[in-house]
Amino acid sequence: MKVPVGWLQEYVEIDADVQQLADALTFSGIEIEAIHRLGLTCTGVVAAEVREVTPHPNADKLRVCRVFDGNTEHQVVCGAPNVAAGGCYPFAPIGAVLDRGEFKIKKAKLRGVESAGMLCASDELGLSDDHGGLLDLPAGTEPGTPLETLYGEPETVFEVEITPNRPDCLSMIGVAREVAAVFGKTLKLPTPVVSESGEPVASSVTVAIESPEACPRYTARVIENVTIGPSPVWMQKRLELAGIRAINNLVDITNYVMLECGHPLHAFDYALVADGEIVVRQAKPGETMTTLDEVSRELSPEMLVIADRQKPIALAGVMGGAGSEIADTTRTVLLESACFTPGGIRSTARRLGMASESSYRFERGVDVNGVEWASRRAAQLMQELAGGQVRPGVVDVYPAPLEPRTVTCRYQRARTLIGTPDLADETIRDLLTAIGLTVTGGNDEACEVSVPTARLDLEREVDLIEEIARLHGLNQIEAKLSAATINPDADDRDARRVESIREHCVALGGHEIMNYSLVSADLLNQFGIPEPERVALPHPLTQDQAILRPSLVPQMVDTLGRNRARQIRHAVFFEISTVYAPAPAATPEARPKETRTLSVGIMGMPEGQTLAPRLDPSASEMFGFIKGFWERLAEAEGLTDWKIAPDDAPWWEPGLGIALRAGGEVIGRLGIIRKGIRKAWRLSDPIGVFEVALPSLIGEKDSLPTYRAIPQYPSVTRDIALVCDQSLPHETLVEVIWKNSPGTLEAVELFDLYEGDKIGAGKKSLAYSLVYRSAEGTLTDADANGYLESVGQVLKQELNVELRDR
Amino acid sequence: MKLEEIDTLTGTAASEAAVAVDLAGLEEVRIRYLGRNGRINDVMEALKAAPRETKKDFGQAANRFKQQIQAAIEERKAALESSAGPAGSMVDTSLPGAWRGGGKLHPITLLIQRATSIFRSMGFTVAEGPDLEDEFHNFDALNTPANHPSRDPSDTFYLDGGLLLRTHTSPVQIRYMETQQPPVRIIAPGRCYRRDTMDATHSANFHQIEGLYVDRDVSLANLKGDLEYFVRKLMNLEDVRIRMRPHFFPFTEPSVEVDYSCHVCQGKGCRVCKHSGWIEIGGAGMVDPNVFQACGYDPEQVTGYAFGMGVERMAMILFGIPDIRLLYENHVRFLQQF
Ligand SMILES: [Zn+2]
Repeated sequence: MKVPVGWLQEYVEIDADVQQLADALTFSGIEIEAIHRLGLTCTGVVAAEVREVTPHPNADKLRVCRVFDGNTEHQVVCGAPNVAAGGCYPFAPIGAVLDRGEFKIKKAKLRGVESAGMLCASDELGLSDDHGGLLDLPAGTEPGTPLETLYGEPETVFEVEITPNRPDCLSMIGVAREVAAVFGKTLKLPTPVVSESGEPVASSVTVAIESPEACPRYTARVIENVTIGPSPVWMQKRLELAGIRAINNLVDITNYVMLECGHPLHAFDYALVADGEIVVRQAKPGETMTTLDEVSRELSPEMLVIADRQKPIALAGVMGGAGSEIADTTRTVLLESACFTPGGIRSTARRLGMASESSYRFERGVDVNGVEWASRRAAQLMQELAGGQVRPGVVDVYPAPLEPRTVTCRYQRARTLIGTPDLADETIRDLLTAIGLTVTGGNDEACEVSVPTARLDLEREVDLIEEIARLHGLNQIEAKLSAATINPDADDRDARRVESIREHCVALGGHEIMNYSLVSADLLNQFGIPEPERVALPHPLTQDQAILRPSLVPQMVDTLGRNRARQIRHAVFFEISTVYAPAPAATPEARPKETRTLSVGIMGMPEGQTLAPRLDPSASEMFGFIKGFWERLAEAEGLTDWKIAPDDAPWWEPGLGIALRAGGEVIGRLGIIRKGIRKAWRLSDPIGVFEVALPSLIGEKDSLPTYRAIPQYPSVTRDIALVCDQSLPHETLVEVIWKNSPGTLEAVELFDLYEGDKIGAGKKSLAYSLVYRSAEGTLTDADANGYLESVGQVLKQELNVELRDR
Repeated sequence: MKLEEIDTLTGTAASEAAVAVDLAGLEEVRIRYLGRNGRINDVMEALKAAPRETKKDFGQAANRFKQQIQAAIEERKAALESSAGPAGSMVDTSLPGAWRGGGKLHPITLLIQRATSIFRSMGFTVAEGPDLEDEFHNFDALNTPANHPSRDPSDTFYLDGGLLLRTHTSPVQIRYMETQQPPVRIIAPGRCYRRDTMDATHSANFHQIEGLYVDRDVSLANLKGDLEYFVRKLMNLEDVRIRMRPHFFPFTEPSVEVDYSCHVCQGKGCRVCKHSGWIEIGGAGMVDPNVFQACGYDPEQVTGYAFGMGVERMAMILFGIPDIRLLYENHVRFLQQF
């Protein structure tokens, strides 16, 4: 809301300078977002009459004008589309200065034609942002009149943010009341008095409210014999400073009173209201109405309308109808001042996609007991400024009058909640009365206050305490560290475990990434994730962010690809975030499942020497890297009991994707992204990725490591080399070795793997080191040879491997 | 020999030692100065001949002569020996190291972890809640009126079936109080969603850190004190001031917006604080009694404060990141910086 400070001064004396005033308001809850100086930014500009307009010989868009400034005629070149002979416009002659002294007008030649000054648009003078054409001065303005005479000195205007709980501040008087409270001044309100004449208004107007819940009060006045014309310059100027365009005296008065007291009004042409009958009702299905903005609107029953006997004549509280609009021919005005409840106005405004100064205020709530004042104030101004005669009385339909509320505030409660032990009872009462509340009772411990109906937000004790806090001054409150009581049940182990996983991923070389939770259908299609596995937003903001991600893998590949496009060849990334799966059962209360998940992606050589040749790893090497990352992480996090299993995710390179299982279920998957998918990001080299559900890594409770005695006796190592079918997994070999070795076997380590010509197709050669150690004594060579011999026999018999001498 | 000549000779000898090309050359230097027939004899003679009153000075100069030359020879000897290893194993120690690996945390995580560790030191624990919320926890229980604009589908992402993507971390307050009895002292960092079109300062995905302290007699003064302590630790500055401006949130009463004195200019005004001297850290206030009632707490028995701050915004201010989108682009050259 724009608040001209000069207007405020009509209701409250202001001693403070502009900055002090702005700060005081901001810290009492009315935020001043900006301070503008609005008004002329030029000197030496005068009104001038354009006497002749001729085309420019060298330019289509320019015109050559003969301009009379009250003394002499000048030749001026002008590019504005609206310049017309006979018009009166602001004229900046040679020597005039625009733009706060920045731009001095000099004699100029425009495309070969001399110009002795310039005709100005509104923005060039600092009056508005309008550069649509020259500023049209009112007819009858004397040429030569300085613009200062017409527009006066620049004025200070505050750009104010009113929070939704304070609709009472959506007006000059509302803001002035705050100023008065903050600076300890008296609020001076106008007392509108009208002299009435003619037949009582009730004889020519009837009002019926059919929807009392949407319209608790409706008043009507009639003002006869009005003369439509421009409103006085002081009113026009105030409206313009407040951001409302001046139209004519009657419309300007309703807007002026709305800005003054916050209560929207509407003026109908009485002659266009059939039989003077006003009905406040819901619209009927299929009804239409053309609003003031010349748009024909289709109405529906959840909209509240003002109607006469035949038809809707206004959208209640939102916008008037074109059919009953004030026009130059209007002689008699039916003045509406009513209270509409926020809900009805909101649904009308939303449904029609309309918003007005009026609907804005009704949506936030207006004072039902301020209706009559606003009506009387407008009638007074219509009498004074439009020559109207006010018919006696007011038709006031107000079936259930609202009484001021009484709220009790305990002094000690206020002091405790704010944390100001020294705040005196008397000060508390003074602060509350400063904003228009009345102390009606109380005792040593509490006061009872009556709250005006304008303060819809003050319902409870705590609401009063908020008023006390802000008026006392939040910055008067002394900061005091809380003496925390510890809740023994509070534990954030899971959060700490996630932090630990993050740290381990970083230690393993990962850079943490963060992607959006919402992804596009296209991306999921690329990875072959079917629709039943997706949780889609019914109304996404963009198609790029339409589906809650079912996996972190697609964006991991995308992130690697986008880095590759920026010439990054090596990267290790990880992301910890939530993935979403549709509700498992079709029960109504079933929610989509959220699982915190870790994904890791590797591109290029994850580690190595800077001088080593930077060869890109093969797919099997990359598989080793990504699996190694997972193994080290699982180990660091204390997950030892996990297995691999086949995985059918559609994004793996054939044979290079596995499922990770633990505790009897699949906890994740790991592998190399299929070439066909990588192609979209021009990732020609293998990309290793895994994704694992975090709950499985976090576990139920922390397992603490236990000390095992460090071996005292030396170990004996024996190597065994074998050739077997390529399809025989290493895992099986190791399992058989363990099963057929004595308790002295300490470790089995693969140290060589060969596949190739020398051993023939479909075969592979593996070599293992077996480490034996006893806790009781030193093993002999003979012991170790015996163990090796027997395990070798079993391997031959059970797995059909061929032992090789080394 | 004059006194100054002894010192000059000391310097000459030390620099000859320092540039000796090998051990043999170094030995020659030693013999020339300190050997049996070396220049040391001249020095000792000068000492002997010195008059009584300057004897002490000559004595000290002679000592310097012996000690400094000896030290220079030792130093050079050590250097020559260390570089003369077995043939062919000369190491260029200026080569880059060969250890890669060691990633970085994302700046958003960095900020959350930094804030979390400060709050933990103040006795807070971390609480979490789901991203997909119901209207009860996201709005109703937080005293948000039925027609509040934040509920509008143009501001909030709704799913089929009435769930929504939480618009703030405040529902974690409700979920926590539903299951725990006071005292409550939690922070809740997490992801939130609003239908904001993406630009340099807006993102439909963002993070918040929520804080909640419920106990007997918690006051606005405590909120101010605790946040002041937090900002001081977060910014690593002793002299940070907090100010509160009245504001409005449905779930707190009184509600405030909290600013701290700019960490760059200490309140004098600079580009970072847009010349105001103050930077907003978030919204806060005293928990509204209606919120307590929705969770089954008795507002006569307990009071509490709550606060919420935008993580991206703070990370941008703290790390000088000019555009929120950089945080979600995941360019490795960006991630490496934090
Ligand atoms: Zn600053």
